[in-house]
Amino acid sequence: MTSQLYLSGVSKSFDGFKAINNLSLVIDKGELRAVIGPNGAGKTTMMDIITGKTKPDGGEVFWNEKVDLTRLDEADTARLGVGRKFQKPTVIETLSVADNIELALKADRGVLANLLARKTPAQSAEIDRLLELVRLTDERARPAADLSHGQKQWLEIGMLLAQDPELLLVDEPAAGMTDAETMRTADLLRDIAGERSVIVVEHDMHFVQALNCKVTVLHQGHVLAEGSLAHVSADPQVVEVYLGR
Amino acid sequence: MLRRLIDTRMGLFLAVLFVVTVAVPVGNLVMAGQPVPSYVVALLGKYMTYALLAVALDLVWGYCGILSLGHGAFFALGGYAMGMHLMREIGTRGVYGDPVLPDFMVFLNWEELPWFWLGFDSFWFAMAMVMLVPGALAFVFGWFAFRSRVTGVYLSIITQAMTYALMLAFFRNEMGFGGNNGLTDFKDILGYDLQADQTRAGLFVAAAIALAAGLLVARYITTSKLGKVLVAVRDAESRTRFLGYRVEGFKLFVFVVSAMMAGIAGAIYTPLVGIINPGEFSPANSIEIVIWVALGGRGTLVGAAIGAIIVALSRTLLTSWFPELWLFVLGGMFILVTLVLPHGVLGAVEQGLRKFRRRRPLVEN
Amino acid sequence: MPPSPGWRGADRFQGTASYMQKNQQAKERSRQGSAVIARAIPLAWLATVFLFAAAMLLALAPAWSQAGKFEDLVNALPEGSYSDRAGVVGAIAATGDARALGVLQSLTEGQLFKQKAGGRIVALSASGDPARMIDAITGEDLGPYSKSAVKKIKVNNGLRREIRTAIGVLSLTSADPQARLKAAEAAFASGDPAQLEALDTAMSAESDREVATALAEARAVAILNTDAPVSDKLKAIEVLAMRGDRDAQGILMPLRDDADLSGPVREALEEIEQRQMLWGLAQNVWYGLSLGSVLLLAAIGLAITFGVMGVINMAHGELVMLGAYTTFAVQEAIRTAAPALFDWSLLIAAPLAFVVAGGVGIAIERGVVRHLYGRPLETLLATWGISLMLQQAVRSIFGPNNREVGNPGWMSGAFEIGAMTVTWNRLWILVFALLVFAGLLTLLKRTAMGLQMRAVTQNRPMAAEMGINTGRVDALTFGLGAGIGGLAGVALSQIDNVSPNLGQSYIVDSFMVVVFGGAGNLWGALAGAFTLGVANKFLEPFAGAVLAKILVLVFIILFIQKRPRGLFALRGRAVEA
Repeated sequence: MTSQLYLSGVSKSFDGFKAINNLSLVIDKGELRAVIGPNGAGKTTMMDIITGKTKPDGGEVFWNEKVDLTRLDEADTARLGVGRKFQKPTVIETLSVADNIELALKADRGVLANLLARKTPAQSAEIDRLLELVRLTDERARPAADLSHGQKQWLEIGMLLAQDPELLLVDEPAAGMTDAETMRTADLLRDIAGERSVIVVEHDMHFVQALNCKVTVLHQGHVLAEGSLAHVSADPQVVEVYLGR
Repeated sequence: MLRRLIDTRMGLFLAVLFVVTVAVPVGNLVMAGQPVPSYVVALLGKYMTYALLAVALDLVWGYCGILSLGHGAFFALGGYAMGMHLMREIGTRGVYGDPVLPDFMVFLNWEELPWFWLGFDSFWFAMAMVMLVPGALAFVFGWFAFRSRVTGVYLSIITQAMTYALMLAFFRNEMGFGGNNGLTDFKDILGYDLQADQTRAGLFVAAAIALAAGLLVARYITTSKLGKVLVAVRDAESRTRFLGYRVEGFKLFVFVVSAMMAGIAGAIYTPLVGIINPGEFSPANSIEIVIWVALGGRGTLVGAAIGAIIVALSRTLLTSWFPELWLFVLGGMFILVTLVLPHGVLGAVEQGLRKFRRRRPLVEN
Repeated sequence: MPPSPGWRGADRFQGTASYMQKNQQAKERSRQGSAVIARAIPLAWLATVFLFAAAMLLALAPAWSQAGKFEDLVNALPEGSYSDRAGVVGAIAATGDARALGVLQSLTEGQLFKQKAGGRIVALSASGDPARMIDAITGEDLGPYSKSAVKKIKVNNGLRREIRTAIGVLSLTSADPQARLKAAEAAFASGDPAQLEALDTAMSAESDREVATALAEARAVAILNTDAPVSDKLKAIEVLAMRGDRDAQGILMPLRDDADLSGPVREALEEIEQRQMLWGLAQNVWYGLSLGSVLLLAAIGLAITFGVMGVINMAHGELVMLGAYTTFAVQEAIRTAAPALFDWSLLIAAPLAFVVAGGVGIAIERGVVRHLYGRPLETLLATWGISLMLQQAVRSIFGPNNREVGNPGWMSGAFEIGAMTVTWNRLWILVFALLVFAGLLTLLKRTAMGLQMRAVTQNRPMAAEMGINTGRVDALTFGLGAGIGGLAGVALSQIDNVSPNLGQSYIVDSFMVVVFGGAGNLWGALAGAFTLGVANKFLEPFAGAVLAKILVLVFIILFIQKRPRGLFALRGRAVEA
């Protein structure tokens, strides 16, 4: 089985502060992985490196074992099949909910193609399906700015799915959601995994437990422990730096 | 397609524009007693070119969030391209009677036409340059600026530096564009006397058609899926990148289109006012364009055109009635619009109408 | 666009491209020369006074001892042969009497006579038509000139040479060091070997270092024009090489192919050329630093508001203008009320300008900018509107024309360092800019206000959480930036035209400094201002003033591609978010 994502010996520092320090991580195709760690552990920087937003100082980042991600930028990695959801929900506020989904739909990203693009019936159907999935059908014509915080989270997940990515990077999806919504999100992510690979960064331990997957603990920019939640919870190092305090 | 392009706002504006475009030449050329004096025709034509320039800026600022403080440069370059053609048209009628060299070159003892003046004797070559030169500058500038992700006020400041540098350059005699005095003393265009009422009316109609065409092109762009991408870039640039859009390409496209539109506006402006000089590149001019757009209503296209006409008209009236007051009024507009009218005049009017309509059914119930 | 589109643009173009030149032409014309020394900084001034007094005493001492002798010598002039007369001329010069120079000059011009009746020696008065006779010794007016009443004291060519040398000696031993310097320079220019002896005499008595050098140089030229031994000439060439200016170059040039001297002369010429290049370099660096100090003053207030508040204040140039007009108003008041205070006018104007501009700044912040936080582009537009209104207000009050702001004594004139000219106003502006910079730095690093400002710059929400009143900090920051703009105006009033367009001339340049240096960093503004200033002045000789400016603008546009946040930008994750 080939890996979806392969990080080896990756480092990145900002003005002397080592945000990522010799980080190695392998995600298999279709795997669901939770990444946890205290503030400043390097979770966001890790995602910035995977998506090409930040160039690492050293180390290797490979996609499907053949594409070097350190040479690409955000648009490249997105086209390659990396979808990212931010911690703070970012949707395009002035566009309607349906337009947000439409822009995310997998399609030609070229300038001229977009100038001349017409919405096909297949695309319209896909938009309807996704709106249904994230329960925003009734809000489809409203500007995204009018949505509640939780609805924006869902819209962003809908956009992520519309991109049809091979790998989803999901940053704290449960923030601002009710308990019921949190559980529904966990269900959704579990459903998605298998078909696609998913990396979830989360603080909420109930949520991580609900994901029921392999957990990676980051601390000071490198991997402290890896395994099931029960396994890492029992690790004395983890307890000391993260859970114990 | 037509329904996509022409909503209520656009329809109303185009209708009024059409009526004016027909009525003004008729009033000037046909009707007895000339109820529309010739200078008014030139003045209104000039307003139209300003309106087109405002639409061009609205396309990049209103829809893509690029606040260009250098759009006057594209306008001026278009104007200079047209001016160069008009200079070549003068021929032997200049003061020195040189068949090839414009007067200012003879005055500077130049022996032959610089290479960049070649070809401008042809009207169609000049027309191509009217779009290509501003387009090329916008392409080069935008390619550098957008690729390295210069945004916000930084981008605004360097666009201002761009037009400022061009102004300094065009002031130099050695540049070969007439230095301080610019290009002037034009005689005719395509064989028609520029002083004749008919020619002026023709230019006025050309300006009106260019404005209508510019509005429709801009509307076509903003209502396409590309238009949605532009709005996405404006509101959440980073998010748009993560959706897989190469943001710099979209910005570059709309910036170049807008620059070309500004160039066309400048090209019509030059024969209407009879002169083009380096003052057009001054940063103050470019900032003023922004207030046209902001006053009319950013991101509405039609509003930008209306804003340009309101400001230009106020300038004409105030500078002749109370010249001391003009800068206070203009300055006041900047402050008023940013503080009180974030959606401009058009936004305020439409909001007022909506309120009015919403209230009426309540009363009936 | 305005109906006469050139008006603002043209003014601004004039204003920026040529303010260096304007300064030198308009404000410093006719202010150099002898008065320069008296304007040195106090210590140098005292030293000069002391030296001057010493020289006076030395020169006067022999004159007293020889009192009475001068009259006898003058009365002896008509007697004897030409060679006797030459001896008398030498003796007159040797008295060092203050009247000797006049007598000898009249003699060489053939305007010295012996009165037939009474035997007095008379000269012709310099003024008056018809000419009048005056007693050469007492200066007494003896009535209109009549040819028959006097007998001319004759001179021949040999005697004339003697007299010229004697005059040279007299000037070279004059009590006034400036006169001695002038005489030495004249001797340098003439290069007449006949003066050698006089030069040697003067050199042995000279105490002023500057004059001594000039004498040695004059002597060197004279020696090169004699048949002196090669070893002496080599020494002379060394002296000229030390002088190292264009004149020395001109004197050595013809000797390039001299059989005995060609090697050393060529070496000397090369040395001179190198020295000239270095001085040229130094002069350019100075011009660059000077321009940089002006840019720093204009930009530093902008950098503060941009850095702390992320706000572009397009009216900053107008606040600078207000500072300049405050200076003008202060000077007007002083002219009418207390002219004696004129030299203090800038020191009085500076705090006032700070208060005026700062007050206007706070009003702008409270009235407009406050409502636009988080909308930097709207702030830019609104402050532009304010700038237009301020311009028009000043135009309505003070009129559209340039206002004359005078330079106090200590701001005018120039002095020379080697081959480099430094004007006092430029030097003081550099000092002032650095003082303002240092003061600001201290304010930011050492005061509670500065701490709060830095806290707000780095993390606004956190600062607010910690109980810092960010609104108050914003208002004070804006006021501070504006006040510094006012101070800049006081300085700029000394070198640029004070007109309603003053601010516009600097606004683009100051933005470039801020953008280049990196917002929110005073050191960035310092480095940016001086880098751009020096770069501009180094490009000028090759490209011309306007093209140099264009090249710098293009450079910044390209630079910002590489470092979008400027030279000294805050880096890291926090900024990106």
